[in-house]
Amino acid sequence: MADLSINLAGIKSPNPFWLASAPPTNTGYQVQRAFEAGWGGAVWKTLGDPIINTSSRFAAVNFNGQRVAGFNNIELITDRPLDVNLKEIYETKKRFPNHAVVASLMVEPKQEKWHEIVKRVEDVGVDGLELNFGCPHGMAERGMGAASGQQPDLVEAQTYWVKEVAKTPVIVKLTPNITDITVTARHAVKGGADAISLINTINSLAGVDIHTWNTVPHIGGKGAHGGYCGPAVKPIALNMVAECARHPEVTVPISGIGGISTWQDVVEFMLMGSTAIQVCTAAMHHGFRIVEEMIDGLNNYLDEKGLASVTELTGKSVSKYSNWGDLNLNYKVVARINEENCINCNKCHIACEDTSHQCIDMLTNADGKAILKVREEDCVGCNLCSIVCPAEGAIDMVEIDSGLPPMTWNERQQVVGGLSGAYSKAEVV
Amino acid sequence: MSAYDDFAKEKQDIDDLLARGYTVAGMLETLDGAKVKFDEAKPGSGSVELLLLTADARKYVTTLVFAGLEKAQ
Repeated sequence: MADLSINLAGIKSPNPFWLASAPPTNTGYQVQRAFEAGWGGAVWKTLGDPIINTSSRFAAVNFNGQRVAGFNNIELITDRPLDVNLKEIYETKKRFPNHAVVASLMVEPKQEKWHEIVKRVEDVGVDGLELNFGCPHGMAERGMGAASGQQPDLVEAQTYWVKEVAKTPVIVKLTPNITDITVTARHAVKGGADAISLINTINSLAGVDIHTWNTVPHIGGKGAHGGYCGPAVKPIALNMVAECARHPEVTVPISGIGGISTWQDVVEFMLMGSTAIQVCTAAMHHGFRIVEEMIDGLNNYLDEKGLASVTELTGKSVSKYSNWGDLNLNYKVVARINEENCINCNKCHIACEDTSHQCIDMLTNADGKAILKVREEDCVGCNLCSIVCPAEGAIDMVEIDSGLPPMTWNERQQVVGGLSGAYSKAEVV
Repeated sequence: MSAYDDFAKEKQDIDDLLARGYTVAGMLETLDGAKVKFDEAKPGSGSVELLLLTADARKYVTTLVFAGLEKAQ
């Protein structure tokens, strides 16, 4: 069995599975239940000046029968006094000394405010701090959360203020509601961050009730934007993690967050540069015990791969994530339909004919059976047919030799640049 | 309808010129395609221009030049 323990910038935990700062980590009772279930760490629900929440806070986006494909919330940070939270953190840490307990913090962007809360929280023995520069709703309207996390200079300054007094590792949690997350990641590093975590939730409105015309959720007929998370945001989060991981100036470890629901998701986030991961929506949907399946699945996967430690996964796919301009234009795949698995639903033909490159023909074979066949020379290898195909194994995307040497767009443009200069001269002559 | 046929025709035109001793001398990409100038190997002799419309032909001709440059290095 592989070693699942990790060390994120000095914060050790028995496995990489942490609960994210959110409703599941609101109290000591919950965090201790989570640790009993197998979670390796928890980021306590954000501490700061206690707020007042609304009633009716969550909404989900269901898609084609899958419940909670996306999740939206307008809940704010803790509504409980700091002393109460600190007492429970102390008790939790005492009971689970080997688990990671990280305190999420959010205060006004003032040096003295950060100094005060950091000192008080570290006094009860937390393993680290996570600065919440990400919450997009409610707190942002008060100048905190995403409001300060969208300003690189404020990210840097606040991180610096925290680092002036912090004795434990400082993780900066980044908002995805920004054009380029590597900018704020770099400023967090410049401010002295020991690690970054991403992503926080994405600005969202879960829906509008077409019968009452109310927002979903609504509070007595009125709504406000919330934060979106859950499986639907995973591709967005994974890209942002990867962009940070491959940026040469983002030199700190990453805690990956965003739609992680399965052990396979965990592996993907680690391969793309995460040292540890955080989960919220999946735990809210299925309960704390989902971690059991995650631990078993990850263990089996590592054994199959012959890896002794989960840490060997971190960053292994980062070098494979590049810029479009550096992709080989002469690499070629084509679709091949396997008649034995094809159910002749014609979805591939329709998709290709209507919205792609019109290269799947509906034919009749020698036995009079309707078949679908790809004209490989016209196939651009877009993958659409295999994406829409409902029959397992009916369509393979097959790599073929284009007969041409590798050439990227950037390399091509250098050639074109030289030739267009020559072309202009030729025209003048 | 076959996009490949369009490419195959343009590729054939390129290959024919190269087989006759022409070399790619210039290229100008425009909204309407790529103008590619082919010069005969013998200096002072004529040049021929092709307007390449298909993406695969535009890729093909630059790949040939790129591969030639790579080989020369």
